[in-house]
Amino acid sequence: MLLQVLASGLSAGSIYALMALALVITYKTTEVPNFAQGDMAMVSAFIAYMFLTDFQTGFIVAFGAALVFAFLLGVGFEGLVLRRMRNPTHLNLIIMTLGFTLALFGLAGWKWGADQRRFPFPVSASEVVRLGGVSVSTLSVATILIAAVLMVVVFAFFRFTKLGIAMQATQQDPIAARINGVPTRAVVGLTFGISSVIGSVAALLTAPLITLDPTLMWDALLKGFAAAVLGGLNTPVGAVLGGYLLGVIENLFGAYVSVEFKSVVAFLIIVIVLWFRPSGLFGRHHERKV
Amino acid sequence: MTFFAVDGLTMRFGGLTALDNVSFEVDRGMIFSIIGPNGSGKSTAFNCISGIYQPTAGEIHFEGECISGLAPHLIGRRGIARTFQNIELFGTESTIDNLMLGRHQHMKSGLWSGVAMLGSASSAAREEIENRERVEWILELLDLVRVRDRPVGELPYGTQKRVELARALAMEPKLLLVDEPSAGMNADERAEVGVRMRELRGELDMTILLIEHHVQLAIGLADRVLALNFGKPIACGAPEEIRQHPEVIKAYLGDG
Amino acid sequence: MIQSSRDHYADIRLFSGRGSWLKLALLLVVLVSLPLVLPGYRVFTLNYMAVFVIVGLGMNVLVGDTGQISLGHAGFLAIGAYTTVLLMTRLGMPFPFALPIAGCVSALFGFLLGLPALRLAGPYLAIATLGFGLAITQIIAHSALFGGHMGLVVPDATLGPFSLSGDVSKYYLIVGVAVVLALGVRNLSVTRVGRAFRAIRDNEIAAATMGVDVAYYKTLSFAVSAALTGVAGGLLALMTGFISPGVFTFTLSLMFLAMVVFGGLGSIPGAILGSIVMGYLNLEMDAFQELPVLGRALEDFSERFMSTVGLPNFGWVVTGMLIVFTILLEPQGLYGLWIRALKAIKRSKSADANSSLPGPGAN
Repeated sequence: MLLQVLASGLSAGSIYALMALALVITYKTTEVPNFAQGDMAMVSAFIAYMFLTDFQTGFIVAFGAALVFAFLLGVGFEGLVLRRMRNPTHLNLIIMTLGFTLALFGLAGWKWGADQRRFPFPVSASEVVRLGGVSVSTLSVATILIAAVLMVVVFAFFRFTKLGIAMQATQQDPIAARINGVPTRAVVGLTFGISSVIGSVAALLTAPLITLDPTLMWDALLKGFAAAVLGGLNTPVGAVLGGYLLGVIENLFGAYVSVEFKSVVAFLIIVIVLWFRPSGLFGRHHERKV
Repeated sequence: MTFFAVDGLTMRFGGLTALDNVSFEVDRGMIFSIIGPNGSGKSTAFNCISGIYQPTAGEIHFEGECISGLAPHLIGRRGIARTFQNIELFGTESTIDNLMLGRHQHMKSGLWSGVAMLGSASSAAREEIENRERVEWILELLDLVRVRDRPVGELPYGTQKRVELARALAMEPKLLLVDEPSAGMNADERAEVGVRMRELRGELDMTILLIEHHVQLAIGLADRVLALNFGKPIACGAPEEIRQHPEVIKAYLGDG
Repeated sequence: MIQSSRDHYADIRLFSGRGSWLKLALLLVVLVSLPLVLPGYRVFTLNYMAVFVIVGLGMNVLVGDTGQISLGHAGFLAIGAYTTVLLMTRLGMPFPFALPIAGCVSALFGFLLGLPALRLAGPYLAIATLGFGLAITQIIAHSALFGGHMGLVVPDATLGPFSLSGDVSKYYLIVGVAVVLALGVRNLSVTRVGRAFRAIRDNEIAAATMGVDVAYYKTLSFAVSAALTGVAGGLLALMTGFISPGVFTFTLSLMFLAMVVFGGLGSIPGAILGSIVMGYLNLEMDAFQELPVLGRALEDFSERFMSTVGLPNFGWVVTGMLIVFTILLEPQGLYGLWIRALKAIKRSKSADANSSLPGPGAN
């Protein structure tokens, strides 16, 4: 029973971890909590759906198209919207991402309606494999593996490639980075692109699990934020760990306490963590100087 | 009982020691200057006194009460007002509203009496009018009448500095902390600041703790002077002593 | 010492001079006669907008004045609505008593949510309130007491001897409450508490050194904002006759934020106007086709590129774009536009005056 719960927790946690990672890498770079992250990913999933059903393409083409779209959407949102703000206070930046998310939500509803659609996927949510006494769907296995591989790739990218290091430098000190010849503007745009791609992978893995409709990523967005808060909004590794932790805690709660109120767990965790450790379990606190 | 005393004040940020065992006493009615080169810990001392930083060690006593560790608003209510090195005004509010915030602790209207302000006889309205009348003379004193209803964010730097001082005065403090009043000013304006400080002390029953980068002004105004360097007190005494103190001269020559 | 000839009451009073009394009287006449001249089904729309106005006033206190953010105000609306209905059905309490109690219950929740908010700024607060809003709807949807997903039917209400069953009688109640609350909020904003709210928004550290208890005022702001929204929730229940968790969504919370942003953060007239516009938009979302000319074009466009069944969602696109363009072009919203217009008029007037002056020196 417990192992079973842990397995489902890990699978759900993979999605949360991806969303949290996507949120944190843009937050670290620009201090913008991107509330449009979920709906940007949702629209990307619809793009894949459009390729699969309307254009009858294969999975590789459809998912490839979705990710390319996601990348462009991320870069475009940063370059055409966020950067053009006149008065980019924290409050205004948050409001901007909210406005953008509402517009995306409306566009998706306008184009595809509010119907719940079945999302075709190479592996199924009902097909079950047994692994050491635990039965997991092939979709769960795929989710866990894909998320893990993607996160390893992302962390390796930040660690070992020249571009990734430049992005990290920009996160830490944009002015110093610019002085040292890092094209910080391009880097910020790129960060949004990458973050959007990570989010869309989460959406592509969520859509076959539930159904595809414009509210696809609402829950995942909240959970991603909860995970990021849990691990620390400033610490990518912490956020990812927070994602897995949240998935497990939530499923434990669902199994042993109450299924109905499973979704409330995320909120409770946010409140409790923020109350006792505002910078997250793995983060450090910053104070404003006068 | 000493009016105001700092005892062994120490402030560390991570590995950096910004203030190292600083002690001094200020008598009522004095102008007390703290001088020192950039980064010598002057503003850190102010931030500790006004409760924005929690000191790592040491105590601050005001009128016989230990105030170190209290929240900033509680320190404000005990009668300590301050200005900031980098001007911290309520930018979208008008000059008069900034001053009225200085009156905050002297006023009482809460949620309900505020909501139910009907007519000039209601308690909230009476209190407003009374306190607005009280700050009007400060506007005159600091030559701010013309910008009374302008949002302070739009005002030039020098005027903003005056508004900030006016706001601190509106608090009717017993102890006024003034951080770099002559920063960014030319010689004439600086002289005016000096005259104003003396006037304030004379007219209002107030003790002034002054941080000033400009040594001549700081020493010229003060009854007593504390010199800091790299967070350590190097000298404390009457203005003439400080002027001739070899360590002080060295610190300033070393600074360039 | 120095005498001042200022009338200090003029700074804070709402109506000065005959002109503004006249305007107020005119406004009241318009408000009273509106339901009498408009067709019946329009009164429902008016009620809806008035409820939105009350929420807008609450959002303005929190977001506009105090500079905090909330993505969970639909949660407070739900608390107000469900408390009102449950007090009426379970305890048999008359509506006029249930409504203020609902406001208080909502305020209590606001206070509780405000507590963690003390330690949080910007992003964290947004996330916490987002979680709050979603949690409230989840709890309602899964509890038998609240009628679950099926919702609750609102019983008929009376106000003393008057029945509150028709749209017109509801109109007078809702608009009356809205006007009274608007005046109260306006008074609050010019007195000590309102000033403390704005001080926190502008500069928290400076506010604290002035003796403003930042923690107290932040929670108070949350409570006031929640109370107003809770009252709006009770009135919403009254006017619609039916409530269900599907009403109080995340998008509704975003709509509430959009109203004050679009109207102009920190301006009461702005908040009211923004709420009226957004309230109308939210209610009439599925009626875009009925617009003259534009409706036809929209329908064609939908058929060709989007979908006709999805057309009601066009309203969300408009709302979202309004936020995006407000922040991009005029962060002070409608109120900012109004101020700019006034300045432009003043300038052109003084330019006229200058040009009519003879002699050199004109530029």
